[in-house]
Amino acid sequence: MREIAAAFNAAHAGHGVEVHLTFFPDHQYTEKVTIAAAARDLPDVLALDGPTVAQFVHADLLRPIAGWFSAEELADFAPAIRAQGEVDGVLYALGAFDSAMVLYYDRDLLAAAGVEPPGDYEGWTWDEFLAACGQLKATGFDPVALHMDLTGDEWYTYAFSPVIWSAGGRLIDEETHQVDGVLNSPLNAATLRRWQEVFARDYADRAPVDPDPFGSGRTAMDWSGHWMARAHLDKKGDRLGAMPLPAMNHAPAAACGSWCWGLTQDARDPDAAALWLRWVVDPVQGILPIVSANGAVPARASAYALFPDYDETPFRLFRHLQETAARPRPRTPFYPTLTQHVAAALRDIARGADPGERLDRAATQVQQLVNRQRGAL
Amino acid sequence: MNPVSNSTRAAAWLFLAPALALLGVFTLWPMLRALGWSFTAADLLALDSARGVGGANYSDLLTDPRFRRAFLNTAWFAVMVVPVQAALAFFLALWVNRPERYWRWLRTVFFVPVVVSMPVLAVLWTMLYQPARGDQMGLLNALATGLGLSAQDWLQNPRLALPAIAFMSVWQGVGFQMMIFLAGLQNLSPEQLEAAKIDGAHAGQRLRHVIVPAMRPSIVFVLTATLILSFRLFVQPYLMTRGGPEDATVSIIQVIYEMTFLGRELGMASAGAMLFLLLVAALTLLQRFFAREVRS
Repeated sequence: MREIAAAFNAAHAGHGVEVHLTFFPDHQYTEKVTIAAAARDLPDVLALDGPTVAQFVHADLLRPIAGWFSAEELADFAPAIRAQGEVDGVLYALGAFDSAMVLYYDRDLLAAAGVEPPGDYEGWTWDEFLAACGQLKATGFDPVALHMDLTGDEWYTYAFSPVIWSAGGRLIDEETHQVDGVLNSPLNAATLRRWQEVFARDYADRAPVDPDPFGSGRTAMDWSGHWMARAHLDKKGDRLGAMPLPAMNHAPAAACGSWCWGLTQDARDPDAAALWLRWVVDPVQGILPIVSANGAVPARASAYALFPDYDETPFRLFRHLQETAARPRPRTPFYPTLTQHVAAALRDIARGADPGERLDRAATQVQQLVNRQRGAL
Repeated sequence: MNPVSNSTRAAAWLFLAPALALLGVFTLWPMLRALGWSFTAADLLALDSARGVGGANYSDLLTDPRFRRAFLNTAWFAVMVVPVQAALAFFLALWVNRPERYWRWLRTVFFVPVVVSMPVLAVLWTMLYQPARGDQMGLLNALATGLGLSAQDWLQNPRLALPAIAFMSVWQGVGFQMMIFLAGLQNLSPEQLEAAKIDGAHAGQRLRHVIVPAMRPSIVFVLTATLILSFRLFVQPYLMTRGGPEDATVSIIQVIYEMTFLGRELGMASAGAMLFLLLVAALTLLQRFFAREVRS
């Protein structure tokens, strides 16, 4: 990031534009930015996590950015990356990279259990997934890692929303911000009752300690994301397979979205600030160095030409999912509270709580906040 | 009025001024702002457009099941921690109150968890509490099964999670209270103890009639400090259980934090903070009352 900024400053040395970066540790970032926003002390250009864009837009802190990009440039961004930066049809943020979630598997362990992986780019239905887990367990393997050791809330919403979506469910109505009746719909309760079986049948550890049981060879499959691709490839080589996440009964849906950049209302010279925004999302100046460093998924179609890995497993699946099934997390100013209560509910449901009752409680809690604040939107 | 005392008074104010200014800027002013916000629907990202809502935040909070749960959890945590930690610290202090070098080592050992950062300990204890799955289990469950007891899902069971966190917190904080008691014990006059011994008082009698009365100021201090500290519970449950399972370990501070940074409801969070302040102030007054009792 520092090198990208240095390159930018060198390229714009004669134009009176200079970028200064301020870094915060990940876990303090949202607090620091929120406090800066409260004090009207935001920088001209701001990095923020995709699902938090809406709350900044509703607080009138970001400005529309589509005007600084040509139509072809915008079309070059993955649709889901554009969607995560859009509120009510207006674009406020764009990112250099995207994320992807897949079900990694060890070909040898699956073969040893007599489990046939699905065809290229194809995923299992939920029943096929449970059947495969059953066969793996009967053979003596730990079937799948769902990473229930992660304490951050975002993992749960990010990783398991696709299960809810794939059944046709939603977490919130993005138009009306209604949660009660949407999050706790009978459909979602039924979906999570089937999700719960992975734990009830002990196919996945409810309280793991090992952060990477797939890598250490204890589990046969890993419900995880692009960030593990390198490490898994290094350990497993040709044994590594990847498929889309199993889908309930509607259509497969893939998690996506990541950190992105927006221009603040406080920016004194938006044209100059937009130069930096264009620079960080430029395929060569921004995406190439960032994605090479963090291993994320490029956010622009034209950038894939710069990454030869994307012809191979598992990377080509990331690209395929981004182009066909990616769906951003709900765009609502209430997202932080929504994800907090969804995560708490998922933890309890994994532990054995009744999905219907637990979703009711979560929906009530979020709806209270929505009702209090809806008048101010 | 005499002129000397006037100038003394002026000097007193002069010397007090820096401290008062700092207190005013960093404590009183933010507190008054929070008090003001607690009667509004202030949005953390749009403070200028805050509208007044009267006492609605307070009535919402007092009827909110999650906030009430947080209050009960925190109080229950204090009830579990304060007596156990204070008693344990007292006996540890009696035990290690010896001049030889190796006792000093033991003191350091008991004090180490106080110095180690809480997040590190939270991760460590999450591992110790790991439930059994197949032949794998955390150390505590291994101990339990070794003793013929059944393994427990310590942090995943709504009834066990808060006691498990309380147990870990006692272990973590006991060294600090032990040090205060140790300082108190070393101020005891050896003559008095000697006299009691010569009078034929056995160890139990010496503890009851000589040591405990002389240690009363330390005991009162430790009890009230532990009480207030335990009401500030946040880091351990936030990292070990995120307030779960079933909200069984959610604490007051966690709810205030979530209201501020997730819901951005600064008004509501300020009201929560005010209620918390009232509670801690009441406990502090209680301490002053008991401390006065002791002195008189």
